[in-house]
Amino acid sequence: MSHPPPDSRPGLLREALGSAAFALVPAAAFAALVFGLLTRPLPWTWTVPWVPGAGVQLSLRVDGLSALMLLLVTGVGVAVFVYAAGYLAHDRRRVRVLALLTAFLLAMIGAVTADDAVLLFLFWEATSVLSFLLVGTDHEDEAARKSAQQALLVTGGGGLFLLAGLLLLGQLAGTYSLSGIVARGPSLLHEPLLYPALGAVLVGCATKSAQFPFHFWLPDAMSAPTPASAYLHSATMVKLGVYLLARLDAGFGDWLPWDLALVPMGAFTAAWAMVLSLRERDLKRILAWSTVGALGTLVMLVGLQGDAATVAAASFLVAHALYKAPLFFVAGNVDHGTGTRVLDRLGGLGRRMPFTAAAAALAGLSMAGLPLSFGYLAKDVIVAAKQDTETLRLLVTVAQSYKFVGAVAVAVAAVAAVRIFWRHPGPCDSCPAHEGNAAMVVPPLVLAATGIVLGLAPGLVEPLLAAAARAMTPGEGGPPVDLGLSWSPLLLTAGTTAGVGLGIYLAWDPLHRVLARLDPLDRWGAAALFRAGLEGMRRVAAGLTRTLQHGRLPAYLAVLLGAAVLGTGALALQGGLVFPEASSPGLPVAFAAAVVAAGALLACGLSHRLVLLLASGLVGYGSALLFLFTGAPDLALTQFAVESAFVVVAASLLLWLRRAGAARSLPEPRLRPGALALGLVVGLGLAGLVLAVAAGPQDPALRDFFTAQAFPAAQGRNVVNVIIVDFRGLDTLGEVAVVAFSLLAALPLLTALRAGRAS
Amino acid sequence: MNAPSPVLRELAPRLYWLLLVVAAWLLLRGHHEPGGGFVGGLVALAATVVRALAFGSPEAARRLPLRSPAACAALGVLLSLLSGLPAALGGAPFLTHPWVTVAGVSLSTVMLFDLGVLLAVWGGLGGYALALLDLDRPGEDR
Repeated sequence: MSHPPPDSRPGLLREALGSAAFALVPAAAFAALVFGLLTRPLPWTWTVPWVPGAGVQLSLRVDGLSALMLLLVTGVGVAVFVYAAGYLAHDRRRVRVLALLTAFLLAMIGAVTADDAVLLFLFWEATSVLSFLLVGTDHEDEAARKSAQQALLVTGGGGLFLLAGLLLLGQLAGTYSLSGIVARGPSLLHEPLLYPALGAVLVGCATKSAQFPFHFWLPDAMSAPTPASAYLHSATMVKLGVYLLARLDAGFGDWLPWDLALVPMGAFTAAWAMVLSLRERDLKRILAWSTVGALGTLVMLVGLQGDAATVAAASFLVAHALYKAPLFFVAGNVDHGTGTRVLDRLGGLGRRMPFTAAAAALAGLSMAGLPLSFGYLAKDVIVAAKQDTETLRLLVTVAQSYKFVGAVAVAVAAVAAVRIFWRHPGPCDSCPAHEGNAAMVVPPLVLAATGIVLGLAPGLVEPLLAAAARAMTPGEGGPPVDLGLSWSPLLLTAGTTAGVGLGIYLAWDPLHRVLARLDPLDRWGAAALFRAGLEGMRRVAAGLTRTLQHGRLPAYLAVLLGAAVLGTGALALQGGLVFPEASSPGLPVAFAAAVVAAGALLACGLSHRLVLLLASGLVGYGSALLFLFTGAPDLALTQFAVESAFVVVAASLLLWLRRAGAARSLPEPRLRPGALALGLVVGLGLAGLVLAVAAGPQDPALRDFFTAQAFPAAQGRNVVNVIIVDFRGLDTLGEVAVVAFSLLAALPLLTALRAGRAS
Repeated sequence: MNAPSPVLRELAPRLYWLLLVVAAWLLLRGHHEPGGGFVGGLVALAATVVRALAFGSPEAARRLPLRSPAACAALGVLLSLLSGLPAALGGAPFLTHPWVTVAGVSLSTVMLFDLGVLLAVWGGLGGYALALLDLDRPGEDR
């Protein structure tokens, strides 16, 4: 990151005040939340009708699970905002990033409190879009743009699945309230449509929470500025998928297909992400893969049945946020202080960056699940969850993969906390490493220290974890929460995991060399397949465009007219052609018809383009006369005006073409048998259609209504105009907007045409 | 384009204003007699085209409201949109047009709506016409 020369003092002060103002938003929300939790019993509800016609309500509901997520969103939010102010000091992106983070905070608060499925979806999509904007912060960098696009396509595409699933669920349950859907969940288990409904929701959650096979977008999203990575792509947004799964688990947790989908998916995602983390050299990407691993573990815990699993999910949710966000801050500080995040170039930073090293140590302790930390307690309940679960033995066996995940997590923690700070006094000793400013070291220290404090005094969060677990459990009453240490078997497990993890840590470089050499993973991995799919889509689109949009105007016309005649002709013939009774028109009408016919015949026979244009103008003016004489003066006026403007502009274009010498490249008008046949068919077909319509019965209801109501309801005697501006005013507004927008779209093309001709 | 004839140059400004007056007249009478914002916009478009033929597109564009076709069209859409708000704020459905009588003259937001339609058609279609008539002029170097 580059540092412009320091500003003057007043500038600095203004910047600091501005950042502080941003940080007030999460701080106020956090304070209000804590106050509310201490004074009012959960759940809190708040409902306002919004789109009553569609049954959509602006309803918010905060139960234990929502409150837990809210605490993370606002609490980690405060740390993130403070950190961002320090990380982006003197950076011109600072205000943009802080503003986006604020918008994200609000969207996230909405997403975890929404009780209406449609409302949840709206906030959910808002977080996807904001994530896109934040990942693409360095929009001048092509890789960042690609990562942002990939993140948006994956999570946005999953969002569409989510919408479909939620709507289906709502239809099945007869309500769009999430709590209502959950309450009715058990009675829906026999519905065959439950498979597609929950399947679609699952796809949406899997994309958001980076579950296999959608896991690849998360590490690529690390092009976001570090505060955003810590906040969106580790602590909060990516947990939305887990959150929704946990919410629905209260209703569908006893459904075997649900567990059979969640547990293997989560377990495999976790294990696979940990393998992939060993292939990375970039500290931030390593942390990102371990985040994917944690998300997989969470999904697995949601899928496991039993009270202990829900407690474990809630505890791990908190523990992960409290150690992973600080570790991201640490990665950001290292990047900031040394200019690199590549492991091989980092080492021995402990003395130069003591506070960052301390934060890394505290957070690493929790991530490794060593005693005294909250991470240890979380790991403790995870093990317990697998022991007393009522789930199928098969799933329990699958869940054993957590041991491997935990071991690699220990290794990753050691890399982040020990290796780069206290070992490998490698080439970076010469780097001018320096500690970050206060705003960059306090947030990770506070968050990581909280992880230790909660480990020593779990009573502080126990009521909240119990409430969250209760929200994830069907029916009333919740499981007892006992986070107390039970030393005997678990210490042994923890010791084994730590031992294996230590082994992986010591063998990190050889393991990395072996895994990095597996290029099939690069060629056939999910990310590569995704990119190949995108490229293929582009190729198919280009091929289609070349085939269909060949640029030959006569061919376009033939296709359009032919299709129109075939379609309408078939319709008209279905009823049989009925000719209206012959009537002799008045002289004016006959005159107008003769003008039209003369114009049409002249246009067919002439070969000089300009005269041809005038002849076709005769058709237009003749039609206007016809309208005038048959009682449609408004239409006649419009037709006159349009025709005049069109003929003038087209004529001057023709003149210009001739002068530019382009006219000669156009084929001269001549008799084309195919065109003649098509023209005859189109003419006869349309004439037949008009006759059929005129002969058929007509419903006078609308005409009568508008004629009768024009003056009483809209105070106008010109029925046509009253319809346009009043009865159907919204349509007119739309049309007018289309005219204006089409001009906006066309102007660049026309300007480019002029510039191209000029050069 | 060839240099426009002196006759056209002499007549164009008069024709221009005449057509604009016709457009305004059509707009105002449209509520009871044939006319209205759409036709008015088309007639105003004809006026602009005449002006462009005589003095070139940039000059004609500068004569448009807000001095640009796109801005004129946008203003029109905005006016039409805003004309529906008073009713919406009063609790009636959006785009309901209330009427008041001031000194014997009936007034309504519907006039604002129709004026918006006129401006949008004038600017929207005028933008096309002016750009097409302007293809002749060499592009500016940027």
